[in-house]
Amino acid sequence: MATTPRSGGASGTGTAQRPNGTSQNKSCQFKLVLLGESAVGKSSLVLRFVKGQFHEYQESTIGAAFLTQTICIEDTVVKFEIWDTAGQERYHSLAPMYYRGAQAAIVVYDIQNQDSFQRAKTWVKELHKQASPNIVIALAGNKADLSNIRVVEFDEAKQYAEENGLLFMETSAKTGMNVNDIFLAIAKKLPKNDGANNQGTSIRPTGTETNRPTNNCCK
Amino acid sequence: MGTRERERECRLCAVTFFAKLHPGDVCGSNGLPLTPNSIAILGRAQKLKELQDEHLCQYLDVIRGKHERTIVVSEYLGLSLEDYAMRHPPLAIAQILRIFYQVACGINVLSRHHLVAHNVEPKHILLSSDGQRVKLFNYGLHHMTKGGAYVPFPIGNIRYMAPERLLGLNGNVKSDVWSLALVMVELILQIELWPKLKLSNVVRKILAFGKSNGALEKIAREHQCHERYVQMDQRLRQLLESCLSVLPKRRPLPGELLEHPIFEEVLLDLKKQKMQPLSPETEHLPLLLRCPLSQIYHLWQLAGGDVQAELKKEGLIRSEAPILGLPQIVRLSGASVCPGRSQAQLMDDRVVPLRLKALLQRLSGLPAAVYFPLLHSPRFPAHFARELQELPLVIREKDIEYQFQRVRLFARLLQGYPHTAEQLQREAAVDVPPLLRGPIWAALLEVVPNGSYAKIDKFTSTSTDRQIEVDIPRCHQYDELLSSPDGHRKLRRLLKAWVTAHPQYVYWQGLDSLTAPFLYLNFNNEELAFLSLFKFIPKYLQWFFLKDNSAVIKEYLSKFSQLTAFHEPLLAQHLASISFIPELFAIPWFLTMFSHVFPLHKILHLWDKLMLGDSSYPLFIGIAILRQLRSTLLTSGFNECILLFSDLPDIVMDGCVLESQKMYEATPKSITHRQHALRLQPPQALDIGVADVELKHLQQEQCPRISAKDVQFLLDNSPAELALIDLRSVVEFGRVHVPHSINIPFATVQLGEQRLEALQVPQLEAQLRGKIVVCVSNIHQHSVEFSHFLVACGVQRTCILHKGFNVLHSIEPNILISN
Repeated sequence: MATTPRSGGASGTGTAQRPNGTSQNKSCQFKLVLLGESAVGKSSLVLRFVKGQFHEYQESTIGAAFLTQTICIEDTVVKFEIWDTAGQERYHSLAPMYYRGAQAAIVVYDIQNQDSFQRAKTWVKELHKQASPNIVIALAGNKADLSNIRVVEFDEAKQYAEENGLLFMETSAKTGMNVNDIFLAIAKKLPKNDGANNQGTSIRPTGTETNRPTNNCCK
Repeated sequence: MGTRERERECRLCAVTFFAKLHPGDVCGSNGLPLTPNSIAILGRAQKLKELQDEHLCQYLDVIRGKHERTIVVSEYLGLSLEDYAMRHPPLAIAQILRIFYQVACGINVLSRHHLVAHNVEPKHILLSSDGQRVKLFNYGLHHMTKGGAYVPFPIGNIRYMAPERLLGLNGNVKSDVWSLALVMVELILQIELWPKLKLSNVVRKILAFGKSNGALEKIAREHQCHERYVQMDQRLRQLLESCLSVLPKRRPLPGELLEHPIFEEVLLDLKKQKMQPLSPETEHLPLLLRCPLSQIYHLWQLAGGDVQAELKKEGLIRSEAPILGLPQIVRLSGASVCPGRSQAQLMDDRVVPLRLKALLQRLSGLPAAVYFPLLHSPRFPAHFARELQELPLVIREKDIEYQFQRVRLFARLLQGYPHTAEQLQREAAVDVPPLLRGPIWAALLEVVPNGSYAKIDKFTSTSTDRQIEVDIPRCHQYDELLSSPDGHRKLRRLLKAWVTAHPQYVYWQGLDSLTAPFLYLNFNNEELAFLSLFKFIPKYLQWFFLKDNSAVIKEYLSKFSQLTAFHEPLLAQHLASISFIPELFAIPWFLTMFSHVFPLHKILHLWDKLMLGDSSYPLFIGIAILRQLRSTLLTSGFNECILLFSDLPDIVMDGCVLESQKMYEATPKSITHRQHALRLQPPQALDIGVADVELKHLQQEQCPRISAKDVQFLLDNSPAELALIDLRSVVEFGRVHVPHSINIPFATVQLGEQRLEALQVPQLEAQLRGKIVVCVSNIHQHSVEFSHFLVACGVQRTCILHKGFNVLHSIEPNILISN
């Protein structure tokens, strides 16, 4: 029996999933991807969540970085496996490698930067089109501590989120405002039945209502 | 003798002051903290280090201490005019004119560089002990503090300030002409200006000059010197009066001043002096003190010199109990109220000499030949310090005698560049002295300055600007130079210049990290930084910055995977089994040549070696990193591996460099073949052709291909390093084969069991160990499958002969034999 050739390098990540814990509580693993324009604070957001740190001069992300964080919600242990991606448009072609098979995504924009909000909308459209159908998407308006010089109005973003079935929060990685909350909100929204995530895509539990409006097409 | 000795010894000095503190909790428009003023000062001061003129004291270093303390190291000469005049009263007119002329020369040089001094006063005019040579001192304070904006004290001595400066006008060189004239007036009239007046009254006096003309005569009367005023040479009096015109536009420029006929005799004297042979003073000067000051200062530090310690010794740096700095009122919003700084701490203009005695003693035993290496005389090879080259690099970099020899040698090689390029490359392979790293790298990259940088448009807005703007404040900002406003501006210009000069390329994030080491090393020479980057990118990153670089990246990473299998088969096997593909972790490595993942001080050592290799060298650095993390990686699953790389542990750079060098030298060149690599020579017969291997081949074949040319080279030169496994049938092998090759007919093997013993070839493992293992067949797929088997068994250096066995028939002279 011949050794099979190595598979093509450009295919998906094929993330290995570890077995669930055997403890009394349920435990789940979810792959989550951060997307958004450059310098909106994606890395600062995840660093605040995972390590409780904020660096004023956080280095730019090239390619992607990977971090994990475990939280407890009700009686379930939830482990997030987080891909923090490069924001520059040039790196766009690498993004599917990270969001394919992801159960959740946080699309980040900077409330001081209208272009970053437009870019966030583009990411939402792409996720709806190409990511898992049941992916949970949260929209994060970061740098909320600079609200005195905001450009993107809260109401505008909130309305967009509601129209597209997204979670929405304004956050500040600097102050920590809403950082844990947005991850908690995602965790609450994700299905947590045992073994679901081992399949690579979530299986919607029977009887769970769809959370998204039926008409999401952008005309 | 005491004075002469002191002058020879004391050629360096330090002064210190505090930069202005920013109010707490204030940030810039981009949400980032404001740059500390001492960092801005540090960035601006770099320009001053490039000024070298016989009438200006050279700037050597600017050091940031705690709490915005700033320390400036510069050249010092003899004694100040203030001291000199006290020792030799009164000065003769001829002597005064010599001083006048030489200080004006210094101001003129500043003016040509668009600089002003704005602090000309007797303390800042230095004379050699014989009074012959004059230099301006501390003239850079105005520039480095941005006209005083970065410090809490004014620049300049009120007594010598021109009227317009008291009214807030800055940057006019004619203000310096006024100050210089006043200093001369003091000498000529043998007075001290308004010695008993309070500063506020001095200001009033100076501003009152505006009401009428005749400032010079007024000064003479006020100091009861009208008689000396009247007796003054008429031309001198008129000159001084024009220099002291209240309206700046009526004062002469420094250049005009120098052309005044009153200086004719001074000029003749100075010319005569220059044409004389070496003065006895210079003749007896130790060889060390004839070296450039920047080298002397560098060696002084290596000899244990510590500027801050010297300042402490003189009492200029005093620590204060931290409790005295605690805020007195803390408000919930708004700034806290802290006790004000002691006025005495803000600006203390005492000059602290940095004594060279220890350095002179340390190097006194060196033979003169070390100062003047003979580059073109093979009969006198520089074997000095050869034994030191066995020591670890970090030790050699701190050893003063070793560094002295290396700096002198490379200084000569750089002077002879480009004609010394080959020798410079050989010496750089030993090590690179940190002091000269920037120019050495430029030489290794074959940079020849040509003025092209100045012609590139760096200012027109482009679509790239926004991305560059957000990347610059995130690029190695722990470094003081790169985080200074000047550093930001220079980086922006370099990036825009590179993008403009390459319309076929685009800005990818990561280009900023690539540029940072060149900017850091050539902070005062943007052209050299730019041309170094310009040469570096095609050498190591050919086509990486195309708008769609996916084919290039995929090829590069596939080759990296193959080379990992070549050198670390079990590790490669493990990573592949958990789908840990290089796309997930290695893009930041290779796109930035590791400059994004390592701090600058590690990048410098890594690139010292990188510069000496070709475009394949970085791939071996990547494998060396994997090798250092090997034991952890082998016991980790996917998540642990990716976490390890996202938070890269401390890589031992020495080990990394040594391992990559060994692998680089041990790997036949064709193994690293890439279609998109920069090619130095066209491929020859038996080489792997440019388009022979497509991306899909790289991705399907775990092991790299080797060319027939390299196989021939190994057979001819080091057959003991080659193990050739012939997979053809016994009959074919018997008909014709390579001597000493191992015949394992593919049809007879069972590859299911991944152990070499399963092949039932005696001593096979021993035969393959430490060698380059080449799989040869007429059916390429057989070689591919068998090579996979060998990798799974942990066999190192497995590769596949490109074009199969039949290519060996083309080799002349014939290498094949029959049974």
